Amino acid sequence: MSGLFDQFKQWYDKRHDYARAWKARTGGTVVATMCTYTPEELLIAAGMLPVRVLGAHEPQNVTEPHIFGMFCPFCRDSLAQGLLGRYAYAEGVTLTQSCIQYRQTFNSWRAHVPTVKWDYYLPMPNEVQSPHAKKLHREEVRKFRAFLETTLGRKIPDADLKQAIETVNKNRRLLKQLFDFRKEENPRVTGLEALYASITAQFIDKADHNRELERVIAEVKKRPNDRDEGVRLMTIGSENDDCGFMAMIESVGCTIVIDDQCSGTRNFWNEAQIKDDPIVTIADRYCERPACPTKDYPAHTRFDHVLKLAKDYNARAAIFLQQKFCDPHEGDYPDLKKHLESNGIPTLFLEFDITNPLGPFRIRVEAFLETLREEELF
Amino acid sequence: MTTSAFATTAATAGEKKEYWRWEESAWVDETMNWRDAKFITAGIDVGSVSSQAVVVCDGKLFGYSSMRTGSNSPDSARNAIKAVIEKCGMTLDNIHFVVGTGYGRVNVPFAHKAITEIACHARGANFMGGSAIRTILDMGGQDCKAIHCDEKGKVTNFLMNDKCAAGTGRGMEVIADLMQIPIAELGPRSFDVDEEPAAVSSVCVVFAKSEALGLLKAGWSKNKVVAAYCQAMAERVVALLERIGVEKEFFITGGIAKNPGVVRRIERILKLEAVKTKYDSQIAGALGAALFGYTLVQKQGVPAKAAAS
Repeated sequence: MSGLFDQFKQWYDKRHDYARAWKARTGGTVVATMCTYTPEELLIAAGMLPVRVLGAHEPQNVTEPHIFGMFCPFCRDSLAQGLLGRYAYAEGVTLTQSCIQYRQTFNSWRAHVPTVKWDYYLPMPNEVQSPHAKKLHREEVRKFRAFLETTLGRKIPDADLKQAIETVNKNRRLLKQLFDFRKEENPRVTGLEALYASITAQFIDKADHNRELERVIAEVKKRPNDRDEGVRLMTIGSENDDCGFMAMIESVGCTIVIDDQCSGTRNFWNEAQIKDDPIVTIADRYCERPACPTKDYPAHTRFDHVLKLAKDYNARAAIFLQQKFCDPHEGDYPDLKKHLESNGIPTLFLEFDITNPLGPFRIRVEAFLETLREEELF
Repeated sequence: MTTSAFATTAATAGEKKEYWRWEESAWVDETMNWRDAKFITAGIDVGSVSSQAVVVCDGKLFGYSSMRTGSNSPDSARNAIKAVIEKCGMTLDNIHFVVGTGYGRVNVPFAHKAITEIACHARGANFMGGSAIRTILDMGGQDCKAIHCDEKGKVTNFLMNDKCAAGTGRGMEVIADLMQIPIAELGPRSFDVDEEPAAVSSVCVVFAKSEALGLLKAGWSKNKVVAAYCQAMAERVVALLERIGVEKEFFITGGIAKNPGVVRRIERILKLEAVKTKYDSQIAGALGAALFGYTLVQKQGVPAKAAAS
């Protein structure tokens, strides 16, 4: 990875330092957010910094009394960060309903992380395909706004909401522009670089992030397409910010050209469609975004969406990065695998934990790549 | 094939008998003259427990060694190839192309290419068991792989066990030590029981060890405990195989393929006999690597400069 993406990498590596500095600089409130369905436009309009909770990919021994060992590693690793005081700067904590396992992380966080001053659970409908879903969600987003106004002790004007929508939409647009470079042959942006850019959008002030994205996009255009792409791969799964893993797979003869993950495209793929009422604009956007498996029934809309991404970005194959015990994704896996493979996209399944065995994973990835290109050996 | 052994049985180390220690070996085909070969290629499989070197002359198996992996991969690779080439007056410079495979594949200092052991075991099994082989079970020192391949030995699908090394060669070594039965005798003795016991409930090396001790205290014979452990190991690998599906013909590679106590139980559960081979099942990975080397040297020519040892 060249120096062009260093700012994103530094933000990622020092994300807590950034949040503390932001708080010192602005005097604002930092809010730990759980799940990318959180309508962060409201928090931004309230002058707050939404910071998505991520794990640290380190062994930990603090979550056992609070959450089952057979809950997904992301839930456990996230909760560990709260219990270890790593988000002590975050006064608020919110969860927008996604999966039941993460709800336990939230409940335990608000009960046991002593630095929490307020918490808010936003009960977003999981059946977003229901004709009643948007109506319900709009009312829930209004309630969240009212809660924030009470917490702040002042109103959040519509104008500020509209400004926040514009800022967040711009961030989504810029990320998509950056990701467009990955469609090229020998893409100028690697999967690791794209991950640093997309994951930092989830905890860096959007104004700072937008400025950096604009700078990087202008510079990327000057980059030559001289990196041998090897095999073009797509990644599929829930949250993934294991940068060591991404660096490893891109070092063995492949390039990650696109993803369907909440650390990547699912979070920013669709912009909010502007309507008169900013609450409607915000609420509808989250109902319409590329679905997480928890919100993708009765129709499986994500199957064709994933396939389209693979085709649009010319992915030769896909790797499922399955968080162990993540039931929603594991439930989708057999049919999604079948859907991709019957459309010419071979797949590999890797099960992720809090820490990942890079050696054995490397063997699997390399062996998978060999099955795709080993004609030279026969 | 005769597998004369230069290497030691090394059953003893000082006073303490090492029951787990399997026989290191090296063999060359004395009916062949390697100097007649147009292309000599080698495969080095540096695994977690054992390292093999195979030398192939114009696509024909010429010699091999199977040695214990040491504390570092380069030395283990050198040790393995040395054991073969010293038997026939060959030097590394005589070998035109070397392929590294196994856990230490990227640390074979004289290799021209690294290929995963998954591809190499499939290719090796294709050579050893014939082109009808479609499913391969590789039971290695610290992992276990189920592989599907086509008639050329090209991998079409595979699965590996996850983090835990339970039910692999290292576990069998621990049981050998615990039972004080030489590892090569475990398989045959596991059938010397009045009644086949149920599997021990865990193949986890630590738990199985405790469970085995408990069974001994409960009056079980050593053979019966070993039978229960072999059965548990067989059930675990069959579970892995069933996830990928077993297609005929079926072939087993790796060190545990030499243990009939596990192999026959696997066959019994699957109701399918594994294809037998005259070759040492443990060399499959290195053999596949050497055969890939042969294909590559034919296609690409001899590398300009042999890698330094």
